[in-house]
Parts: sequence; structure tokens; C-alpha cells
Amino acid sequence: MEIITALIIGALFGIAVFQMLSRSIIRSVIGLIILANAVNLFLLSTGAYNGLAPAYTTIAGVHSDALPQALILTAIVISMGGTAFVLAMLYIISARYKTSDVEKIDGLKH
Amino acid sequence: MEGDLTLILPLVIVFIGAALAAAFGLPALNRRLTITQASWLLAVFPAVAFILLALRIPALNAGEVIVWRVEWLPVLGLSFGFYLDALAALFALLVTFIGAIVVVYTGQYFKGDQTAWRFLAYLFLFMGAMLGLVMAGDVITLFIFWEGTSITSYLLVAYKTKDEAARQGAFRALFITGGGGIALLLGLLLVSSVAGGTDWPTILQSGDILRNSPLYLAMLGLVATGAFTKSSQFPAHIWLPGAMSAPTPASAYLHSATMVKAGIYLMARMNPALGFTESWFWLLTTAGLLTMLAGAYLGLKQNDLKALLAYSTISQLGVLMMLIGQDIPEAFKALVIGVIAHALYKSALFLVAGIIDHETGTRDITRLGGLRKPMPRTFVVGTVAALSMAGLPPLFGFLAKETLLATTIHPSLPPIIGSLLPWASVLAGALLLAQSGLFVWETFLGRPKDPTIHAHEAPRAMWLMPAIPAFLSLAVGLLPETRQEAVFLAQAASAAYGDTVKVTLALWHGINVPLMLSLVAISLGTVIFLFRNPIRAWQQRTLPNLSFNAVYQWILAAIDRAAYLATRLQVGNLRVYLITIIAGTVLLVAGFANRSLIPDLSLASGLSLELIGPTGLLRLFALLVVAGAALFSILLSRDFSAVLAMSATGLGMAVLFVLEPAPDVALVQIVVDLLATVILVLALARIPRRQRAAAQALVEAEYRGRDKRTLIRDLLIALLAGLVVAAITYSSLTSRPRESVTTPYYEENAKTLTGATDVVGSIVVDFRAQDTLIEIVVFSVAGLGIYMLLRRAAPTFGDTGPQVEEAPSHSAPPQATMGIGGRPTSPFIRVVSSTILPLAMILGVTQMMYGHDQPGDGFTAGVIIGLGVALWYVVFGYEETRQRLPWLRGMSLITVGILLAVGTGVVSGWITGDFLGNVDFGEMIGLPLPGGFHISSSFLFEVSICLSVLGSVALMLNTLGHPGLRENNEAT
Repeated sequence: MEIITALIIGALFGIAVFQMLSRSIIRSVIGLIILANAVNLFLLSTGAYNGLAPAYTTIAGVHSDALPQALILTAIVISMGGTAFVLAMLYIISARYKTSDVEKIDGLKH
Repeated sequence: MEGDLTLILPLVIVFIGAALAAAFGLPALNRRLTITQASWLLAVFPAVAFILLALRIPALNAGEVIVWRVEWLPVLGLSFGFYLDALAALFALLVTFIGAIVVVYTGQYFKGDQTAWRFLAYLFLFMGAMLGLVMAGDVITLFIFWEGTSITSYLLVAYKTKDEAARQGAFRALFITGGGGIALLLGLLLVSSVAGGTDWPTILQSGDILRNSPLYLAMLGLVATGAFTKSSQFPAHIWLPGAMSAPTPASAYLHSATMVKAGIYLMARMNPALGFTESWFWLLTTAGLLTMLAGAYLGLKQNDLKALLAYSTISQLGVLMMLIGQDIPEAFKALVIGVIAHALYKSALFLVAGIIDHETGTRDITRLGGLRKPMPRTFVVGTVAALSMAGLPPLFGFLAKETLLATTIHPSLPPIIGSLLPWASVLAGALLLAQSGLFVWETFLGRPKDPTIHAHEAPRAMWLMPAIPAFLSLAVGLLPETRQEAVFLAQAASAAYGDTVKVTLALWHGINVPLMLSLVAISLGTVIFLFRNPIRAWQQRTLPNLSFNAVYQWILAAIDRAAYLATRLQVGNLRVYLITIIAGTVLLVAGFANRSLIPDLSLASGLSLELIGPTGLLRLFALLVVAGAALFSILLSRDFSAVLAMSATGLGMAVLFVLEPAPDVALVQIVVDLLATVILVLALARIPRRQRAAAQALVEAEYRGRDKRTLIRDLLIALLAGLVVAAITYSSLTSRPRESVTTPYYEENAKTLTGATDVVGSIVVDFRAQDTLIEIVVFSVAGLGIYMLLRRAAPTFGDTGPQVEEAPSHSAPPQATMGIGGRPTSPFIRVVSSTILPLAMILGVTQMMYGHDQPGDGFTAGVIIGLGVALWYVVFGYEETRQRLPWLRGMSLITVGILLAVGTGVVSGWITGDFLGNVDFGEMIGLPLPGGFHISSSFLFEVSICLSVLGSVALMLNTLGHPGLRENNEAT
């Protein structure tokens, strides 16, 4: 099971990287969101417990690890904010350069 | 804080002077006082500082050392402190004494120029920095003030900002002394780490440890680099002549008594700690000797009065540096006398040069001459000072030269230096005498060379200022009762030498070898003076001028070139950046992993059904869905389809969270995934259709393999990154500890401390509440940023359409029922959406009320309500939504939310002593509430999270759903 989880998180990461490297800036954003998902999955896998009960004090049994979950909550929110902001930038960039092709966006060149 | 606080009074006074000088720039003051009056007033400050320091002399003569320090960063052993012994006091007295003179002189020099308050302010800042430098009690304080003198002297030298030469000269000085400063910092840090403390007492007592340290040569080299560049030792002397483009009062101050003496002070101060070794002797003697000769030789060929003085200063600095290199008491006697003598006559000469420049308009000795008649008083002052520089009796300069010569013939010197040093000193003395003659003769005596110059005597205050130090040179030589002064100088010399030094100020010691050498120097100097014209002509024709301009220019050009190459790495291509970042990170991780990243497959628990638990198969399925959906986001060539595939990935994640089981996370994941999809679709819809089609074609072209090379490159990088991440995940999964350190604490205390049964929720809103506060601020800023980008920045890129206000007025005619993109929507969907928003609100409120014991929290509530609103945008279109939901104002919601959060935090902090600590307000005032619902600080915090998140989401939707820009772009 560990191998499969690891391979799938790796695959997710690779797909995200591939998308980010795309010439289309829209695909880059999609890649960014998938990347955040891959990282969250990774965070989840660092949890110490393998409990099968949710982390509620009223529920008996071995709980799942609450700490990575809290971290992931924060990570989801922040990456959502970041993604939305990147989208706005994407819009500005395509309005400024009249293209969504990364190769044609060359304002950073001197 | 310990020690004598009154020690810092002189420093405080000088800095108050700086503040007042700057305040003189205020129009109200500037109108009422002339610059001359202001300078008289301001001169009181250094004068008082001087008196305060002078009052310490009796105590210092008794061998006392006054210290004051305050612990600054005790963890790092850093303190901020001051230290006054006779050596520091000697320099501090010179700084304040010459400082007061120069301030008065400045008022005369800049008479009528009311903007010169800027100069006075810089001058006072420099004075404070210099005073702090010599009074510093530890190396860190010293370094701070050391850099302060570099910066303030830059401001002073470049005071005439419109003059290119001044700017260049100032830059060169800053470049060289600043570079030396970096070396000095390294050296001082080495010294203090070896000595075990940064303060002077510790360092001065660790001489043996320092000298025997294997790092000794590094320390010596670095500290000496700092001191040599500051005190313009050969070959770093090249900045000093360039700095002569400063206004003359600054030159007189910086380059006679203060700035250039900083290096001398530092080396004298460090002598007990670093001195008395072979390397110290040879380094300082060689550098000093070369500097002395180069300065004396170059000075003779100058035509500019200030340049002439600058080179003779370099020569004198070489003498002083050479003296510190010797380890005999006579050298330190010569050092203290030389420091004072030079400060007195050189400041006077600079001020006289300034008067000549001021009254005639030139400093060129080929044009001057015969000024004795129109400027008799300046002539007398200049002559006295020049005689002291020439080293003639009965002036103080004579004593300085005698003591120098006495040192050079000391029998303890090694044979080579022993025979070289006296004759080199005699030669330098002779050259300096010739230069003094040049200064007096070519300006005051003879005939006027340029008839267009009409000189007249300077105002009294102006010539009186150089007269004070000039005649002091005379008085020290002639006054009989100088015992106190001699004791003070002896204490200063002893501090530098590290042992007792005897000092007498008597001029006449009988007929001895130094006197003979002195006579030789005087005769030789007279000969050089008499044959000055052929010698100077010959110098100018054939001999090098040692300005090392080519080297300096080459270094600057090399730095420029390196900077250019560094910026060439910035190719401005997003993909290249990404590849660099990702590949670099992957290589770093793979290279520096402290364990093997090759998976140890024997640790895997296999795939048999029994081992992966009751939900194992489901989990496997969810994982496959996640990866498969992600893969489809690549394979689907339509952008909207790809977005939907990405959304499916997120939902698959939610399933995984449920299986973990992590219900809170799953809930947030679902709502955020939906929101992200909606926003992405809205943003895509705003991009002009033609552009979208082009991007689409691009993607298709990529996958059909038209650009095989990049495709393979991208695949390789993705594969590499994926493999490394998989390896890390695998090793973290198989080796993770089964005992968490922190989680049990949260599990045990969630109910008692926060009243929550949901451990994750209690971590988010109670245990780590401040994190969450920052998080919602970030989220709000994202919303605000989007608003600013699209509403404020976008118009600069061609959007000239009418700006729709945040909330359109109700009087506007109702729009036709159009959904997003101007498409009509069916009544059925409209009814459904109308109903969903209130339901979403009820759901949100419930989540906040019971979030402590159930999945869900304020963030989910905010996003759920936001999703309800998003549906409206899609179904009813922008205009109608804005009209029907006038309360949906992003800015106000964010403001209220964050203020509520901070307010709750402050109130609960006031009650519990802990910002955002848990308080149950409902219970406190005994409100009858339904079971499970508490009006606690957590609840209020949840509400504030909900409000600010809703505000931010509203901003995002309002801006991205705003139709104006899209239609405009479509039209173009």
C-alpha cells in the first residue's frame, strides 16, 4: 500500500510539473492547483497514527492524526487564495500581451 | 546597563546638534537666522562636548578608564558600550575641538547660502559618528560608527551634487573605505571570537591568545585592510585626493583630524592585542614607509593647494602607521605628538586654503601669488601653520619630527630597516618642508601671477578659526608649564603601547643625533625648495603619478561586467525559470537527502486485502481516481474539459480525506474545489475567445508532437520530479514515527481547554488561532489583490470601458434575465438558485454554531455562502446579482471580519491573558442557549473567519464575474 500511495503522489506531482511547464498559461494554473493537491496528500501521509476513527474526543477508538489535518486545512485555504490571485494575474497578463502563450510573454527580458 | 552614564553625554550633545542643524532646514527657522548665526549657535555643541571631555582629563591622568555599556543581544554576547581612556580621549578631544572650529568656519564659508544647513547637518552627523568611533567600548559599536563615518563622509564629499567630480570622488572614497569596512568587520569578528568577548578590556587582555591563534594572520590582514583603506595607506591612498572635491570645511575636518585618523586610532588601540609580532612590524612598517614616501613625493608636484595638502596628509598618515608598527615606547610618544601636531597644523592649512579659494576663486598656485599684501592676517596664520608642517622650531611640528627621528635611529630595529628608516624619514621631512615653502611662497609671497584676481582679506571670524590651531602649535612649543598635558599624552601613549611611556614636551634636548638628522632634513628641504621649479617640471614630465586610476577603473569595470553577467541569467522566460527551480530543487533534495532515497521495498506492507484494512480497496480506488483525473487534465485538449478533470482530482482528494478519516478536511476540500473550479471558469470566460482558441491550438500542437524536443524535456523533468517525490513519500510512509509528540496534547486538552470535541477544529480556531488569523488575512489580501489588479491595474492595459461601481444604484433599469456570458437562463434554474442561497446561509450558520463538535467551521461556512453567491453570478449574471444582493460588499465584509477577530482576540486576551484564548461569553453572562451551542470566543472567531472569507470570495467573484473588461477586449 505504501508503494502505491507513494507512486500515486509522485505521479500527481509529475503531472502537476508537466502541466506547469506547458506553453499555455491556463495549463500552468491547472498544474499549480494539482501540485497543491499532491502536497496535501503528502502532508496527510506524514501523520503518525493509522487510526480508523475521526479525531473527535467523543468517538472511541484509535483516532487519525489531527495535526496534519489541521495543517492541510490551512494549506488548502492558502493555496486557494494563491490560486485565485494567480488567476487574476493570468488575466492581466493575457490582457497585456494579448496571448496565453508563455513563450510570447517576454516582459521580463531586458 | 552598567558604568558611568554621563560618559555618553558628549555624544548625545553632538547628535542633538545634528538634529538642530537639520531643524534649521525648516522654513520657519531658516527665515529668522542666517547660516552664520546658526553656525555660531551650533558650534556651542561640540565646544560643550569638548569641555565635558576635557573635564575627564584629571581622572584619566590618574589612570582611570571610564566605561558605560548596555546589554544589547545578551544571547549573542553583544553589547553596546563606550570606553574612554586617555587614547580615546585624545582623539575625542581633537574631534570636538577641530569640530567646533570647523562649524564656525562653515558659517563663514557658506555665508549667504541658506541651504547650507544640509552641510551642517551632515557635518554634525559625521562628528557624532567619529566621536562614537573613538569612544566605542566594543568592536561592534566601533564598527557601526566606523561605517557611519564612511556614509556621512560620502554625503559631505558629494555635497556639491551637481559636480560630477565630487560625486566620483565621493564614490571612490566610499567604495574603498566601505570595502575595507567589510574586511574590518570580518577581522573584528574573528578577533572577538578568539578573544572570547567583543569589549575592549577583554580583547586588550587577550593579546597572547590572539597572537598565538592560528587565525592570527587572517585577523591581522583583515583588520589592517580596514585601517589601511580608511587611513589611505599606499596603495589605497588613491581615494584621498579625489575626496578633495568636498567643500573645504569638510576637507579640513575629515582629512586632517578625523576620518583618516580612524585607521590610526584603530591600529593604536589594537596594538596591545595584535601588535608585538614580526608580521605586525613588517606589515605596518612597510605600508607606512611606502605611504610616507609616496605622499611626500607626490605632494611636491601638485599645483592645487588642497591636493598638495592631501598628499602631505597621506605622507603623515604613513609616518603614524609606521610608528604604530614599532614596539618601542619612543614610537608611541612620537605617535601621540604626531597625531596632535598634524591635526593642528593640517586643519589650519586646509582652512587657510579654503580662505584663499573663497577670496580669490582659485587654488591653483600657478595663478596665485603676492597675497601677502591684500590678506596679511591670513598670511601670518598660514605661515605659522606651514612652519609647523615643515618641522621647524619652535613649533609643535618640530617636536613631532624630532621624536619621529629619535624612533627611527633606535638600536632595536632590524639592520635593513635600521639603516633605511632614518634616511627615508629625512627625505620625507625634506620634501614636506619644500611643500610648506611652496604653500607659503607661491600664494603669499612673490608677485601676483594672474592680474584678474582681486583678493581681499577674509572676515575676521574666518581667519580667526585657522589661527586657533595654528597658534596652539606655537604655544605648545613655547609655554613652560605643560606637565599636565605631558602626563595626559603619556597615558594615551601607554594605552596604545600597553606599557608605561614617558612623554616630555620640551623642545630642546641638547645636541644629539635626531637634531643632526633634523638639520640635514632642513638643509635638504631648503635645497629642494630652491630648485623646486626644475624638480617639479621633471616630476611632471617623467615620473608616474601613482594614482592607480587604471587599476581602479578596471576593478569597477569588472564588477559591472560581473553584474551584467549575473543579470544575463535572467532570461525572462517563465518556463526556463520553472525548469531551473524544479530541477534545482529536485537535485538539491536528491543530493542532500540524509538517507538513501532508493526505496527499501522490503518495508512495504504488500497489497493483500487483509493488510490494507477495511477501507483499503476504497482508498486504492480513490487514489486511482485522483491520478487518473489529473492525467486527463493533460490529455483533454479543451481547456474547460481540463478544468473539470482538475476539479475531479480535487473531489477524489476529498474521498481520500473521508477515508483517512478526516471529515473536517474533506468538507473544506469539497467546497474549496468547487470554488476553485467556479473561479477558474469565470476567469477563463473573461479571456477573449480568440486568445483562448490560440492557447488551445498551442496545447494541441504540443501534444501532437510538433515540438518534440520540448515535450521530451518536459516529460523528463516531470518524471524526475515525480520519482523524487515518490521516493520521499515512500521513505516517509515507511519510517514515520508511530508516536506523535504533539498530537496527544491536543487530543487530551481539546475538551477541557477549548470546550471542543472536534480536535482538528480546536487546533485551527483555538490552539493555533493566531495562525488562522494570519491565514484569513492572507485570504482576504488575495481577494483585495485580485480586486486591485483587475479593477485598478487592468485599465492601464487598454481597458477604457466605464467602471462599474462596487454596488450599482437601485434606480438602474432592471436588466434582461441573462446568465454569465449573456446567455438566457431557464426559470427553473432561477428558482433553484434563489432558494439555494438562503439554504447555504442556514447551513453556514449551523456550521459555525456546532463546528466545535461536528465537521465544519467558519471557513467552510464562508465558502458555502460564497458558492451560493457564485451560483447567482452564473445564473443571473453580474448586473442582476449586484442589484439584488446590495449587502455583498467585499471590502466591508473583510473589514468587519478582521476587526471582529482582532477584537475578540483582545477581549479574550484581556480576560485570559492569552490573545485569542478561549472564553465562553455565553456562559459568563448566563444566556439560555440551546444545547451544544456556546457563544464563546471560538464562535466569534468562527464568525469573523466566515465574514472575511465571504468578503474575499465576494471580491473575487465581483471582479472576475465583472463583464466590462471581457466585452471590451472581445471588441478589439
